[in-house]
Amino acid sequence: MIKKVEFKTYREMPIRPMTVGDMLWNLTGSWRNVRPYYDFKRSPCIVGCPTSENIQRYIQLVTENRYEEAWRTIIDNNPMPAVTGRVCFHPCMSNCTRGEYDEPININAIERSLGDMGLENPGWMAKAKATGDKKAAVVGGGPAGLSCAFYLARAGYPVTLFETDGALGGVLRWGIPEYRLPNGTLDKVVKAIIDSGPITVKTGVKVGRDIGLDKLEKEFDAVFLGIGLARSRSMDVDGEDGEGVEPGLSFLRKVNGGEKVDPGKKAIVIGGGNTAMDVARCALRSGSDVTVVYRRTVNEMPAIREEIEEAEKEGVKFEFLAAPKEILRKKGKLAGIVFQRMELGQPDESGRRKPVAVEGETIRMEADRIYSAIGEQADLEGISEAVETEWNLIKADEATGQTGRKKVFAGGDAVTGAASVVEAIAAGRKAAEKIIRIFTGRAESGEAEPATVGIDDINTDYFSKTRQTKMPRIPVGRAREGFGEIHTGYDAALLHREADRCFSCGVCNYCDNCWVFCPDVAIMRHENEYEINYDYCKGCLVCVQECPRNALSTREEGK
Amino acid sequence: MKPATMPTEELMGSGHLACQGCGATQAMRFALKALGPDTALVIPACCWAVIDGSFPHSCIDLPIYHTAFETAAVVASGLKAGLEMRGDTKTTVMAWAGDGGTFDIGLQSLSGAAERNDDFIYVCYDNEAYMNTGIQRSSSTPVGAWTTTTPVTNYKREPKKNMIDIMAAHSIPYIATASTAYPHDFMRKIAKANTFRGTKYIQIFAPCPTGWKLAPELSVKMARLAVTSKMYPLLEITDHGQKLEVWKDFEPTPIAEYMKAQGRFRHLSDAEIAGIEKDVEAKWERLLAKERMLASIPGL
Repeated sequence: MIKKVEFKTYREMPIRPMTVGDMLWNLTGSWRNVRPYYDFKRSPCIVGCPTSENIQRYIQLVTENRYEEAWRTIIDNNPMPAVTGRVCFHPCMSNCTRGEYDEPININAIERSLGDMGLENPGWMAKAKATGDKKAAVVGGGPAGLSCAFYLARAGYPVTLFETDGALGGVLRWGIPEYRLPNGTLDKVVKAIIDSGPITVKTGVKVGRDIGLDKLEKEFDAVFLGIGLARSRSMDVDGEDGEGVEPGLSFLRKVNGGEKVDPGKKAIVIGGGNTAMDVARCALRSGSDVTVVYRRTVNEMPAIREEIEEAEKEGVKFEFLAAPKEILRKKGKLAGIVFQRMELGQPDESGRRKPVAVEGETIRMEADRIYSAIGEQADLEGISEAVETEWNLIKADEATGQTGRKKVFAGGDAVTGAASVVEAIAAGRKAAEKIIRIFTGRAESGEAEPATVGIDDINTDYFSKTRQTKMPRIPVGRAREGFGEIHTGYDAALLHREADRCFSCGVCNYCDNCWVFCPDVAIMRHENEYEINYDYCKGCLVCVQECPRNALSTREEGK
Repeated sequence: MKPATMPTEELMGSGHLACQGCGATQAMRFALKALGPDTALVIPACCWAVIDGSFPHSCIDLPIYHTAFETAAVVASGLKAGLEMRGDTKTTVMAWAGDGGTFDIGLQSLSGAAERNDDFIYVCYDNEAYMNTGIQRSSSTPVGAWTTTTPVTNYKREPKKNMIDIMAAHSIPYIATASTAYPHDFMRKIAKANTFRGTKYIQIFAPCPTGWKLAPELSVKMARLAVTSKMYPLLEITDHGQKLEVWKDFEPTPIAEYMKAQGRFRHLSDAEIAGIEKDVEAKWERLLAKERMLASIPGL
């Protein structure tokens, strides 16, 4: 009853003083000087993800058992969660608010579970038909190219995908060993992407050699170059050429292709990146005693932390602060290697301390095989003539992939230099989005980014400290004996245990706190949201204070 | 959306006259959700006599008997007897009084009803002073607190009355403490109380932002810190005063965090707060010792 009961005469009054109406006529909202309102913010994991996966959202959907929607949420930004869930360096987890409280959410493992579910349920992937009047060429079937092709095809634009190798996958196929990413899984991922829309694949075609970039520019309305870094950089030391010394990438390519390899009794791997770790662990699995030699210290190693730890556990040895100086040969046969002792000097442009030689100090090591993994470079044959390059990398806009040529876009390692799978996926998607904007003539949506939530915004009273749920794995002893996948993935119980740990920073996950604690019964609980009834909200702000995840904000009335 | 974490039916509506962030109001809403519509209330003079609404209105969709300060328990006894005389044995009668009307003014009638073991739930919403009449001290006001009758120059030196032990001495079937910060615990206790026949006493800690000189948004936070600082242990006494269970599964917090947020304690020095902390810790230890002692008596 919104109307106040008023007695005009005593005859209208009940015999006894009793209630005849409720208090809803009393609009206590007029008492309020500060207004609470629902204001969803950005979770820091999303900010940390190079391809901006809506991590908070898909974890919340997992907690509600809505797996298909969760998977779709990832697919909006990343077409291959089964890959990134295995090989990503997960900067999302370094950004996770929970990491400042106890341990970060194991986002990587949750992503992998969803990615695997997507592979088991091919029906989840919507099939796009060719509806667009423009067509695009994508050069390179690695993560950047597959991502770009996927998002273009999803929008209905026919894509022709050119790949030098016989099979798609790029670095995922020939660069990442099977114990991290099994070929069978990769095959399914690639198939799902190719089957998702109008994508024509041309393997065994090297753009720049077999077909000119100019020709692609003429035939297609847009060209994306995602050619990656397919060449090992040489060490530039005496004795490098000859038997026993091999680029790490070529070794990995053989291993991943199932070729028989012989890394000798004692192998030395030079470098500190992920390629070095992969080479070392593959050589170890092929029966060799392996030492990784790096010119800085473990702290500066660019490899993923877990990979370094795994390599160490499996028995790979490390020698730090040593740079190759000379490879020793006896009658052409590899005899050993001499390293220059280094020390850390001033930080360089990458922010890492630069190694400088310690005069007169060298180390000599015996070796049957030496693998160089000091970096890769792009194979720009036939490309560098057509597009502008710098430092042997393609010059392209970071946000859109646009090169100096109107129709040509580029992204991934060939633009950034050695980076990561997820960054290549992001670059492919962003280029696809830019190409689609050009095709449709639509402008970029200029929505403002919401504020990001930090640990100080979380009401930790509502969370007890818990440990991160580690992904189950096979024991190190067994892992190092073969190429079988090391991590075996969560089961449903583990997946929920970990997903339930998520703070859901800045985004409501229907915990009911605001509704429970409102003294004025001014919060309405609807099917999919809460609503504040400002007719009665007195502005006590208990809801804002007791929201565990800062999904509400305040504003002074009249301002 | 997930299933609701408490019953969605609202027996208490908006538009009431409570201050911003009122703990007593939250407590009422929770209690009514736990009891459901087959409930009649008795409310003596206290904040809730006003919060409810002005004649002829009420924000509560249930029969309420407004009564004199000292008579909540005896009116509840009478109401229950009257209902039973008319053949209604189902309706729950709940007396709902503040700490002044329980610890001080209503003590004799409560003691009488408890001794007779009359069948009703008595809830004391404890905001630790006579808030409705202007923040005068009650025997529930904690040591160290400012009130209008214990100004900072002469703040309250006497400890809070131990009402729980007084009620336990009456051998009633169920006694519990609760806090507005733990609504599900409170609702469980109300529902549990309703399963016993006889007098049930529940005392819920209900912050009063106005009387405590506290920012209203910190109302629930204070109710939580009172428990985690051991100032206000959550406990249940069953088997007619013979079994005691104390809730211990929380991360302890320092008392200073609780006291320093409230204006009513602002005049206290760190040394005085440390003294209070020592007393609280000793009381907590005694409570746990009592719990162990009662548990160790054979045949219980």
